[in-house]
Amino acid sequence: MKDKKLLFVTQFEGLWFDALQSLMDLRKAGFNHTVFLHVIERDKVAMHRGKGYLKDEEVKLREMANVRFIDWAESLFEQGMEVGAYIVVGNPLPKIISTAAEEDVDLIVTGRHKQGKLEELYGGSETLDILERTSIPVLVYKYMLPSGKVNERPFEVPLLTMDWSPASEKAVEYLLSFKDVLKKVIAVHVINEKEFKSTSAMEIQSLRKENKQKLEEVCARFEKEGIEAESHLYVGSTFEQIEKAASEREATMIVAGTTGKNPLKEIFLGSVATKLTKHSVLPSLLVPANVKL
Amino acid sequence: MSRRVLTVDDDPDITIFVKTVLEENGYTPLVARNGETGLSMARDESPDLIILDVLMPKQSGIRMYRELKTDESLKNIPVIILSGIAKRTFLRSQEALTEFGDQPIPEPNVYIEKPVEPLELAETVKDLIG
Repeated sequence: MKDKKLLFVTQFEGLWFDALQSLMDLRKAGFNHTVFLHVIERDKVAMHRGKGYLKDEEVKLREMANVRFIDWAESLFEQGMEVGAYIVVGNPLPKIISTAAEEDVDLIVTGRHKQGKLEELYGGSETLDILERTSIPVLVYKYMLPSGKVNERPFEVPLLTMDWSPASEKAVEYLLSFKDVLKKVIAVHVINEKEFKSTSAMEIQSLRKENKQKLEEVCARFEKEGIEAESHLYVGSTFEQIEKAASEREATMIVAGTTGKNPLKEIFLGSVATKLTKHSVLPSLLVPANVKL
Repeated sequence: MSRRVLTVDDDPDITIFVKTVLEENGYTPLVARNGETGLSMARDESPDLIILDVLMPKQSGIRMYRELKTDESLKNIPVIILSGIAKRTFLRSQEALTEFGDQPIPEPNVYIEKPVEPLELAETVKDLIG
């Protein structure tokens, strides 16, 4: 079987070696090849008035990254893993996309990077930009739990958010490919208050029953693979209820399908994916609808 | 005809350095930027010696070395590993791959941890292929 590849993007801000180490459980799902990527942002070395291109600064930043990557790579090589590394100068987004394409990776792992003023203003997200331009799932990895401890096995108890879109169906299929890492799956659907159009208790109960039934079907697919699964219905604002469910059910990660298209629309509508990447305390695995399985 | 040496390294500064040392000592240098291209060039060009880095994109020197040593037509080409990765790591990784079911392979002819002095490199090449 061909090794699956994980692209680990680090700006040495949020993601360090302990984050990478906590993902080593993914070897059970075939991820035996890790590619490191560090992008030296152009404005750190670009032309400055009176100084020109800061070549010495570039060499310094490159070597700092190199020393770290060599140390990380040694640990992974000794475990029998395959490792590659890129240290490049440029803008992070295009470099992430081009490296992911060049290496043909199966998963991109990124931290929540510092945001620019426009992103702060509109709540935009580099992650959504990646999802718009590739068909590769992105794990926005927040590996420190609110307790201050490292989330040692993020894939152990994922909370799977289902909105019955084709993207969430793809998320189910993608998550099933991690069956050897999963311990329990928590399938959740949030019924928005707006869906309570009728005041008839009978109709509301039908809505509940219909959604519960669909969740049970999702659970059955995991149980068939020997993975424990449970279903829960929540009512209210989608993002808040997902966060609440994740906390109540002690999930280790949140998984959501996303169209990944039209990020501006997603930003202005405040999509769940945007909110997960920006605000969730847990890692978020975002699966595009066009993911290749 | 001068002896041909294939250098496989993704760092352009290193490949320029090695190329210069090789040319100054009468060898013909060939260059590949990763293990995948390196292996394909080794098959196409049948070099007399390979100088191989370890941490590279696409395919690492660890996997490329293993492929070289398990290929009947390539396994007798001498190899110098020139890398920032420690020799101990290289050997342990090969042991780990052997434990996972791959066949055991011999150690590289020479292992040099970066950086290397021009004279040391030139003499090592000369010792191996004359």
